[in-house]
Amino acid sequence: MFIRMIIKVIARQRTKMLMIALTVALGSSLASAMLNVMLDVGDKVNRELKAYGANITVQPKGALLLSDLYGLDAAAAGVDAYLPASEAAKVKTIFWAYNVVDFTPLLSLQAETPSGREVAVTGAWFSHQQSLPTGEELQSGIDNLRSWWEIEGSWLVDGEDDGVMVGVTLAEELGLEVGDQITLSGLTGATTDDPADSGTADPAPAGTGTTDPASGTTDPAVSGDAGTAGTAATTTSGEATAVSAPTSRTLTVRAIITAGGDEDNQAFVTLACAQAISGKTGLATSIEVSALTTPDNDLARRAAQNPKSLSAKDYETWYCTAYASAICYQIEEAIPGVVAKPVRQVAASEGAILEKTQLLMLFITILSMVGAGLGISNLVSASVMERSAEIGLIKALGASDAAAAWLVLLSILLTGLAGGVLGYLAGLGFAQIIGLGVFGSQIAAAPLVIPLLAVLLVLVLLLGSLPALRSLLRLRPAEVLHGR
Amino acid sequence: MPSATPTTATPAATPASKPTSQALLQLDAVTKSYGDLDALRDISFAVQPGEWVSIMGPSGSGKTTLMNIIGCMDKPTSGSVLLSGQDISRESPRALTAIRRDHIGLVFQQFHLIAYLSALENVMVAQYYHSLVDEAEALQALERVGLAKRANHLPAQLSGGEQQRVCIARALINRPQLILADEPTGNLDEDNELKVMAILRELHDEGHTLIVVTHDPEVASAAQRTIILEHGHLKEIRNNQP
Ligand SMILES: Nc1ncnc2c1ncn2[C@@H]1O[C@H](COP(=O)(O)OP(=O)(O)OP(=O)(O)O)[C@@H](O)[C@H]1O
Ligand SMILES: [Mg+2]
Repeated sequence: MFIRMIIKVIARQRTKMLMIALTVALGSSLASAMLNVMLDVGDKVNRELKAYGANITVQPKGALLLSDLYGLDAAAAGVDAYLPASEAAKVKTIFWAYNVVDFTPLLSLQAETPSGREVAVTGAWFSHQQSLPTGEELQSGIDNLRSWWEIEGSWLVDGEDDGVMVGVTLAEELGLEVGDQITLSGLTGATTDDPADSGTADPAPAGTGTTDPASGTTDPAVSGDAGTAGTAATTTSGEATAVSAPTSRTLTVRAIITAGGDEDNQAFVTLACAQAISGKTGLATSIEVSALTTPDNDLARRAAQNPKSLSAKDYETWYCTAYASAICYQIEEAIPGVVAKPVRQVAASEGAILEKTQLLMLFITILSMVGAGLGISNLVSASVMERSAEIGLIKALGASDAAAAWLVLLSILLTGLAGGVLGYLAGLGFAQIIGLGVFGSQIAAAPLVIPLLAVLLVLVLLLGSLPALRSLLRLRPAEVLHGR
Repeated sequence: MPSATPTTATPAATPASKPTSQALLQLDAVTKSYGDLDALRDISFAVQPGEWVSIMGPSGSGKTTLMNIIGCMDKPTSGSVLLSGQDISRESPRALTAIRRDHIGLVFQQFHLIAYLSALENVMVAQYYHSLVDEAEALQALERVGLAKRANHLPAQLSGGEQQRVCIARALINRPQLILADEPTGNLDEDNELKVMAILRELHDEGHTLIVVTHDPEVASAAQRTIILEHGHLKEIRNNQP
């Protein structure tokens, strides 16, 4: 009987119910599209970024092996943790030199403020002008690799060795503002904090595609063990390198950086400055390279494991294609004693932007639900008004408040859920349109969206019906039935 | 036939003279005020089981107000209303709903049928909220009021008289002790009025207790007693000669 009544109510008020269903469908199509895209977008952005270019970290072989395989600190273990900064230019001599968009040597070190606060400092090139071995003039530096940083003040420039850029968190903690002075003293000995970790939370805008300097797994940077590092003096390019005791420098804050990640807690100086503070003349802990690459395919993956396993023809194809692995291989050829690795966890760098994108989608989802809720609220009120005589009557016939409310609610819920199913399906369509239009690939329907949407819908329907239900409960049969 | 109630005319202001324990309904000094206005003032009377009482009075005299109070849809401002010995003037709305459901059948002047349900389903709604739906029984009730052939028509497809009879079928489907009808013939032509009156008479003969509000002296005279209200006062209780 109850079901019969519900069905007939819906049929009776079909225009209103249709409106309710449509409102819900609209809201839930948006929500389902956004939720599906949101849950799938991580993959999408990854692929997107890989298509733009890989980021390659070049590190001394010893450092990488030890830390990667055994989790040891390279410098502490007495293994070469440094490479000559001048080697960096060689990445422009490889077969795919033209695809190398930007690069900089990085020197990570640990320093201390006069108050004893340890600070992770990274030295890098800033708009570094250089003549390449090929005779070409080129400007490169971290300012291009971190173009998304928000800067209050101005970027350091090449040769500005008395300047420092301070991450916003660190600046707040130390009470620094642009123009202030800060003294940094290089520390010796192994450190606890790995400044090279910085990149793991960098918000890289899709196009920039840069990643962290020394993929967080390594910890090569900061040993003050001068003796071991000193061996790096055998530089192929002949530039002088030397290791001496760390020193202090008083630097002027040129800019406050908002990077949205660990870098907010670091300081950035010119490479020369970092070398002076750490006493590592002419050295770097890694080289970061941004290159345009061809997305990996099967061949690239096989080659990445072992290029020697390829047939001569495959090898040639691979070598002459701008795969990230081919570029890495060529960098290793060009610079002896290093390991070049594409940074695998691309997700790290765009984590933040992903989060923001997803937050935006969440907002849209919530807004569409709120909108649907408001619409539903009006429609349900109108529906209940129209049915007030009927509701008064069933109350007079002995229906409890709960039974009367249930009668109304269930018809709304059923209608709403029907609309929700419709909207969900439409939302899948929207998601595909967004996927193809924005990310150039299909969006997989995430099963999680269904229960999520169902819960959201029920909530919205209940909340939307609440005002009407309240007036329904206040409805007194005597008043409705006797035509007052 | 338990209709042999003493038929003394009771003056308005005096309390019900004989609060017999077996009275089905016992009103005592019932007053209902809407702000300054007393829709009912100091009403007292008793209705015995099986009795047929009609209530008359000019428009605005408080007839519907009185029916609402007896029908557990409203509470008096003061005074007590005993239904089968239970004081319904002190019950919670929830309890009143239950009493109304279990003991009272309501017939409305405007029929109040659910427009999207068939005649049969309208009767079944009352069953549903009372206990269990029994289609055969519902059909029987319609048959009683001569509407078996119209069971599957929607209210809009029925004449006013037919709708009123559906309404009566619905009122009696749960075998209530007390049937309250507020102007059951008010909207009907003479022909339909006669049919409805015949049904009421039948119900009375079966032992149902009836309270019927009406403007029509002829309808009123079918009852054993007529309670006449005026401006919320009980003006007189008249015994009708059979
Ligand atoms: N909810 C209310 N609020 C205020 N006044 C009310 C309310 N209900 C009834 N009244 C007033 O109480 C008085 C009695 O109303 P009631 O409906 O009982 O009259 P009635 O005898 O049924 O009249 P009619 O024959 O026209 O149906 C009227 O003056 C009416 O205006
Ligand atoms: Mg009335």
